[in-house]
Amino acid sequence: MSLNYSSPLFLLGILGISVPILIHLLTRRQQKRISFSAVHLLAQSQKRSIKKSRPNRLFLLLIRCLAIALFSLALADPYFSFKNSEAFLTATPTSTVFILDDSYSMGAQAEKNSLFDRAQEFILAELNRFPEKSEFSLILASSPAQIEQDWTSDKTVFEQKIKAQALSLRTTNIGDAINQTQKLFESAGQEKRNIYLLTDLQRNGWKEETFSQIINTTPVQVFDFSSLQTEENKAAVQSIQVTQELLTQSRLLRVKAEVKNFSSNLMHTTFSLFLNDKVVKEKFIDIPAGQTLSREFSYPVRSHQPLSGKVQTSDDGLNTDNSRYFSFHPKQNIKVLVVDGDPKTISHQSESFYLEHALNPFSVSLSHIDPTVSTLAELPLRNLSDFSVVILANISELPPGYELEIEKFVLNGGALLFGMGDQISLKYFNEHLGNLLPVKLESHYKIPTSNAPLHLLLKNNTHPVMKIFSPKEIDQMREINFHSLITVQAREDKKFKVGAWFENKKPAVIEADTGKGLVVLFLSSLDRDWNDFPIQPTFLPWIQRWTQYSARGLNSIFKQNLLVGEPFHPNANSLGHKQAVRTPKGDLHRLQQDKVFSDTFQTGVYQLFNLPTNAVPATASLTKLPKGAEPAGTFTVNIDTQESEPEKITQKEIEGFMAGMKVEIHAPHSQASQSDSSEETPLATSFLIMVAGIFLLEGWMLRKE
Amino acid sequence: MENSSQKFDAQVLSRISTLKMTAMNFVEGLLTGQHRSRHKGSSVEFAEYKDYSPGDEIRHIDWKVVGKTDKYHVKQFEQSTNLKCTLLLDASGSMGYQSLTDEHTPKMQYALDLVATLSYLLLKQFDAVGLTLFNDKVIEHIPPRSKASHFQHILHSLARITPQGTTQIADVLAGMAERLPKRSLLILVSDFLTPNQDLHKSLRLLVSRGLEVIVFHVLHPDEIHLPFEGDIVFESLEDDFRVELDPQDIRDEYQKTIQEHIDSFKKDCNALGVDYIFQDTSESLDQALSYYLLKRKSLSNL
Repeated sequence: MSLNYSSPLFLLGILGISVPILIHLLTRRQQKRISFSAVHLLAQSQKRSIKKSRPNRLFLLLIRCLAIALFSLALADPYFSFKNSEAFLTATPTSTVFILDDSYSMGAQAEKNSLFDRAQEFILAELNRFPEKSEFSLILASSPAQIEQDWTSDKTVFEQKIKAQALSLRTTNIGDAINQTQKLFESAGQEKRNIYLLTDLQRNGWKEETFSQIINTTPVQVFDFSSLQTEENKAAVQSIQVTQELLTQSRLLRVKAEVKNFSSNLMHTTFSLFLNDKVVKEKFIDIPAGQTLSREFSYPVRSHQPLSGKVQTSDDGLNTDNSRYFSFHPKQNIKVLVVDGDPKTISHQSESFYLEHALNPFSVSLSHIDPTVSTLAELPLRNLSDFSVVILANISELPPGYELEIEKFVLNGGALLFGMGDQISLKYFNEHLGNLLPVKLESHYKIPTSNAPLHLLLKNNTHPVMKIFSPKEIDQMREINFHSLITVQAREDKKFKVGAWFENKKPAVIEADTGKGLVVLFLSSLDRDWNDFPIQPTFLPWIQRWTQYSARGLNSIFKQNLLVGEPFHPNANSLGHKQAVRTPKGDLHRLQQDKVFSDTFQTGVYQLFNLPTNAVPATASLTKLPKGAEPAGTFTVNIDTQESEPEKITQKEIEGFMAGMKVEIHAPHSQASQSDSSEETPLATSFLIMVAGIFLLEGWMLRKE
Repeated sequence: MENSSQKFDAQVLSRISTLKMTAMNFVEGLLTGQHRSRHKGSSVEFAEYKDYSPGDEIRHIDWKVVGKTDKYHVKQFEQSTNLKCTLLLDASGSMGYQSLTDEHTPKMQYALDLVATLSYLLLKQFDAVGLTLFNDKVIEHIPPRSKASHFQHILHSLARITPQGTTQIADVLAGMAERLPKRSLLILVSDFLTPNQDLHKSLRLLVSRGLEVIVFHVLHPDEIHLPFEGDIVFESLEDDFRVELDPQDIRDEYQKTIQEHIDSFKKDCNALGVDYIFQDTSESLDQALSYYLLKRKSLSNL
């Protein structure tokens, strides 16, 4: 049982009792001494007399002080908590670290508020029970755990800090938080130390490897708030996949989502597709206990405008994980200029034949790649700024002086892809395109016909281009026979990456950032002269993805679905524009060039905008989008559903993780933090009634006197 | 015997002088009382006739009556004798009370005037007067004498009194009962501010021994009305007892208590046949004495 206060600052009003005391002392009458004969009779009369003004005055002073004290107490909004006092709370000042689990699973419902709210109330109530000179610090246990408040013995400051905390959407990392306590205890002011861990004991937050560094022996009081949860977390949308059906004229959007039933019963739930904040599709599904169910929505896309939406299930004990966001960009056509250096009269003998058909297989704009075939002679007539990608396939030389045009194109953000072939002049390439080529072309390496052809080495290839290929397709690509290739030599002053290797450890694809653009060299031919790749089924997606990748289109695809807290790389697809991000709550953030955007702590769809040059000073903060700002894309941030798994960790496991630390697990029921429950009795009204009673008594006494 | 210091103490001499003047002043204006003896015998004042019986003195036969009536009658006369009176004066601390404002005569001064006046009055009538001063015991005892010079002796004793000590009237009276001559007069002057409840018993003892007892109950008006204001620590004049209070709170109760005390004592005295005279020091002493003597005379004439 303890007395707690909602507004303890008002307790300072108790100092007001000094006023009547002062008045009493100042107006006190001087005491006279008289030698008297009938003192015994006086004493006898005093005993018999009802009127005793001196004690009355003292009594009046007492009740006036009491009235002021009670009034101050009433303002402080006191309430009695009928809870057991904990043995670990002693009269000795302690240094106590509060580890508050602010992961989203603490948002689970506990009657009218959340577990997190209860944990906050718990800390606020507990603070009053600590003796003076105790000091406190706060660590938030969501990943990555951070020290939110260093040591302070000012309870008011600490209370404000506690009240200021809000639930995050991150996962839990208890081990990290416990590790942080070691740092704090190095500067602790009291010898007696304590750790209060307020969590829901979700297994996800307890990873054994994070506890490996602990050398702490401080006792840990673990408060399991999961017992306060009034409704279980039944389901979570675990993943979402958005694809566009290209092979039909209807341009269907397919949204595939996975929902897991955490409960031990068959779950009936609605499954809704929201697009631009409106429900467009809804299904009723039954998910068996403990199973994950995958459902797909199809929705016709009729515009080229970007779409954003979410998939949502019915409400349960934890709503945070009931929806998952996605964004979708109807693909923009990439204009590609294919320059065929060796055009043939028989079309299928030309590089351009394979490239054109691979880049746009149905001659209609479904692949979002719009190739234009050109010969070398026509090249000066083309305006390169109309194209995002230029593929120079098997060219011997560029038209005179055109190297500078190509270089300018690349430096301004264009992509340049080279395909090798018989027409290639190594000398010309090395001498005239030296600024563009990251490597020096060394020699034409031709495999004797008696020897086995070369194959691509695709083991552990993590290049973004290769991500969509299934293992089976990778195996197919390994079967491609290469008979000729160009070997290269590194240049000292150039940096490059190898996108793929041949089995003989020679590079197959080389890429290098050049200016704002990209230069890619495929060191074999793009027709069937040096290999049989163009007639393989994997050629089409391979060349399409290299084209998209060169046009900086892939990064955004891969990064558009982030987890809470994961950084967003802003320069993808920026092409030199100044950009800004609008968060789901509407805040605007200017993106710094070459710096990640890490404020991804809200779930939802983040919008990217290209800002007009010179529209806003670079240093000025953005409050609204400047005129001329154009949408440049979106990315989504979703929660990591690991945190949704309701499985609890056991005390034995915890003790195993925190070997050497004295761990006690308590239920918060017996503690504070239930301001609206029957365990607390508000006293303010009673105190006010007592004050009124005191005033009545005082009036009566004064009248009588 | 008077010692030299007492003899030449200017303050004592001044007091003696004042007392003497006061006493003489009062007494000269009063009746010159005579005390008649209860014994009838040879005297100047005829009382009654009595039939002669053998044993009566022949010389008391009134021969004129024998001549007229032929019967023998014997003349009887009132016998005038000297009265033996002992004045008992309470000299305890409580008698030393005097008002801070000197508005009324201090209690002890009033008592001294009273005792001196009574002494002078009695001596003037050729009665023997003695004086006993006491508090919790007898401090000084002067046996009764009827010489005129005895007055000086009494005044000397009175002038030297310093009120102190606690009051134990009952014990003192009980002790005095044996020492006092039978059928004498005892005048007791005190404030009777004592919690001792044995006073009644002691008075009864005195009365039973044939003593005529007169009680002068002297109180200061402050002791009756408690006129003080404010927070006051009342310290006892007799011991270390003290009370801290605001008189306003208990005034009514106190007045009631003291009145009950007075009434109760008066009632006891009346029941024993003891003359009780209440003397408030705000009243003039001569008026009080006149009233008393008149009352005594009227009673004696019954």
